[in-house]
Amino acid sequence: VKQDVSGSESPASVCILVDSRCISSGVELMTVLRQRHAATIHVCSLDGSYFIVSNRMAVERHSQSDLAVMQNRKRLVERVNSLQGLFDRICLIVEKDRTKPGEASRPFQRTRFFDSTLAGLVRTGIRLLWSSGAEESAGLLADLARLEQRKGQGIAVPLEVKGQHGQQALQMYLSLPSVSYAHALNLSHNFKSIAHLMNSSIEAIQKGGCMSRSRAEEIYHFLRYSCDPFLVNTSKGRKTS
Amino acid sequence: METKAPDALDAGPPCGSVFVGDRWRRSPLTERLKGAGVKILFDSELGLADFYLPNRICIVYVSERDVVAGQDYKRKLVRYRNAGGRLQELVLVETTRLSEQHFAAVQRFVVLDLGLTLLPVGSQTDAAQLIAQIVHGEGRENPFARRSSSRLLDPLVLALVQQVPGVGKVKALALLQHFSSIRQLCNADAVELEAIVGHVVAQQIHSFFHEPTGPG
Repeated sequence: VKQDVSGSESPASVCILVDSRCISSGVELMTVLRQRHAATIHVCSLDGSYFIVSNRMAVERHSQSDLAVMQNRKRLVERVNSLQGLFDRICLIVEKDRTKPGEASRPFQRTRFFDSTLAGLVRTGIRLLWSSGAEESAGLLADLARLEQRKGQGIAVPLEVKGQHGQQALQMYLSLPSVSYAHALNLSHNFKSIAHLMNSSIEAIQKGGCMSRSRAEEIYHFLRYSCDPFLVNTSKGRKTS
Repeated sequence: METKAPDALDAGPPCGSVFVGDRWRRSPLTERLKGAGVKILFDSELGLADFYLPNRICIVYVSERDVVAGQDYKRKLVRYRNAGGRLQELVLVETTRLSEQHFAAVQRFVVLDLGLTLLPVGSQTDAAQLIAQIVHGEGRENPFARRSSSRLLDPLVLALVQQVPGVGKVKALALLQHFSSIRQLCNADAVELEAIVGHVVAQQIHSFFHEPTGPG
């Protein structure tokens, strides 16, 4: 799983964060990403099975039938909404459904529901990429990461944090609202200590977190948010661990 | 390039209808669109796009023949992108057995190089169904629309304080009675903390916030 990230980056190398849930369904994809596209991959625990290809972009793989079946709509909406909170750009790679060996590939039945799903996604500014399978998806992921890197949005800090305290700080940054794993990594590497972040200006948070101004503002105000002890006390039943 | 006042096109057709370029008269696509209840307004001055939809969407249709023939459609798409302005530009690419082998290259050009949105369609019939869904979708609520999150912050603050090693829910609540914000808690000195959580945990909290985590 681990790859050398300490060496100086060659310009062609891109960094991609992968949720651990992507591994079982994406062995082929990961192998192609590493071997053919020389991508640096770090497996971590994200809040869903997706990829992070830059400071601002997340990518999820879906099969065509995922988008065509009404039963999946609710889950897809939830996924997209949760990613919208964490990332400025979201891309869905829509993959052709896999056929079992020996089975003739069935032509995809394009339903009206599928089209209405596409219309909704496009209107929300979700990017769509189309893929014939795992191998092509790996190429698209590498292309996206490279494109983002060229635009100055590539993840430029090491993909791991060292030591127990570093890990604990990373976890704390992840529980800030609207902070993705990429932002949390940037905060971990760019601030001396947690107190340093807590006392930083909006501009410094924006720069250190490699994030948008509005996200930095949200963090800045959250750190200064004055809790109402009554509201805190009555918020039982929420997951707090 | 534009033969019509850009403002008129920017405003787009009325709800439920589509501006359609003249070359699409009597095409299967137009017939299907009519069948799907979309009102067609032919226009000979649409410029580069083939269709204008309500709510600032325009569409170029790249046919199987365009794809197989090669370069011409690329020049057209570059001009299309540059003229786009405030419209959302979609590109429908006819993907058939014949044109499929070129699809990856077309996608790379349209999406990665030009930054336009590509939607593959198998035929004009497919395209009509998709355009009809986009037009009719304007009247409905978009389930994917970004919702402004108006979450209660207090539980998030409580959860965050519990990320501090040695601090469970009881201690977190006690701390928040005294220091209402996370930043105040972070800036409290060990003596202030000691009165609430005892000597050991006070030291833990203080060093958690102030010990180096990165190079800064």
